[in-house]
Amino acid sequence: MHLVIISGATRPQPKSNTAKIIAAFQKGFEENGNTTEVWYLSDRKQWDNAKNAFESNEHILIAFPLYAENIPGIMLEFLSGLKPKHNSHTKLAFIIQGGFPEACQSRCCEAYLKMLPAQLGCEYAGTLIKGDMFGLGMVDDKNREKMLAPFVEMGRHFAEKSCFEKYVADAFATPEYMPEKQIRMFNMIGRHISKFFMGSIAKKLGCKGNLYDKPYESSVNNPV
Amino acid sequence: MKKILLVNTLPENDLSVSNVVQALESEDNKVQVFYAYEKNFRPCVGCNVCWLITPGVCSQRDGYDELLKAYLANDAVIFLSGTTLNFVDCKMKNIIDRMLPLVTMGIHIVDGQCRHIPRYDKKFRFGLVYSGVADNEYLNYWMERVTLNFGGESLGAYPVSDVKGVSACI
Repeated sequence: MHLVIISGATRPQPKSNTAKIIAAFQKGFEENGNTTEVWYLSDRKQWDNAKNAFESNEHILIAFPLYAENIPGIMLEFLSGLKPKHNSHTKLAFIIQGGFPEACQSRCCEAYLKMLPAQLGCEYAGTLIKGDMFGLGMVDDKNREKMLAPFVEMGRHFAEKSCFEKYVADAFATPEYMPEKQIRMFNMIGRHISKFFMGSIAKKLGCKGNLYDKPYESSVNNPV
Repeated sequence: MKKILLVNTLPENDLSVSNVVQALESEDNKVQVFYAYEKNFRPCVGCNVCWLITPGVCSQRDGYDELLKAYLANDAVIFLSGTTLNFVDCKMKNIIDRMLPLVTMGIHIVDGQCRHIPRYDKKFRFGLVYSGVADNEYLNYWMERVTLNFGGESLGAYPVSDVKGVSACI
């Protein structure tokens, strides 16, 4: 099977967590001689090729980061420029990756994705959701490999089924909500660790202010 | 009198714009219209600069900061959008994606779910009016979720033919 993969991420490929996820997915998908081509919407020069690939192939996967509860604006722009297919059996599948750990954060987007393929004359082939991906580009190689291993496995699954089966996608997406115990731990310790971690990253990046600064405070309830 | 910001991604001469302004003003609101159609705000590039390097300030200097200030200044914000693929138009999605500097990178848990800690002490009220074909039930659901992430309240999603609905909610 040949699979067209489109990255809907806005970050350039070298800095993109979605690109890392795609690479891991490709590894599992290509194990048995399957092939892929990948197009990155962050690079507008690739849009024509991505459009041609969408038009001339029947297996399409779009991977992207969750932006404001749905697909990123550039991905919406790209998709709205496609001509809906007629009498095709094109299957359209999706991978959503987000920063928060719970799968419930991506369900609103998933609901939209279930409607989207029909708008483009395609069939829906499932959505894979994975949270807690914010640190993917910041961890060491060993931890990154550990975080990406499930995507390699999902590549194998997709190669076999040509879709993401619901029960597999649901198991992959866990936790749906953070367990009570984890919430208690977060409130007691986790939030302090998280604050310290973010402060250290900011310092390394050259942040001179406070992460909770309010640069437009004077505008609050005060129209020009 | 309430101060309303109307963020409009329809062309300035679209009849829907004057209809919506008229409907909002008829409820004794003061309406500030932000014409975004010609602005072509760039998409959020996910650089995290607004969280980690210049907290609260976007790295893209294309005039979007005026909108950030206007969100804070007004009592309610109505997004007036065209539609594409059963959803808001691309310009509007880019505008909403760029609201990230209004929250911090810090996380707290609200009603059992992670949320970003708001940057300002401001209760946002967001509503959506759309011109074109879209799934109203879904857009209501989406607005609820979007506003939740800013610690705010959704005023709902309304087709332009039912703009009085949003006026009544404000």
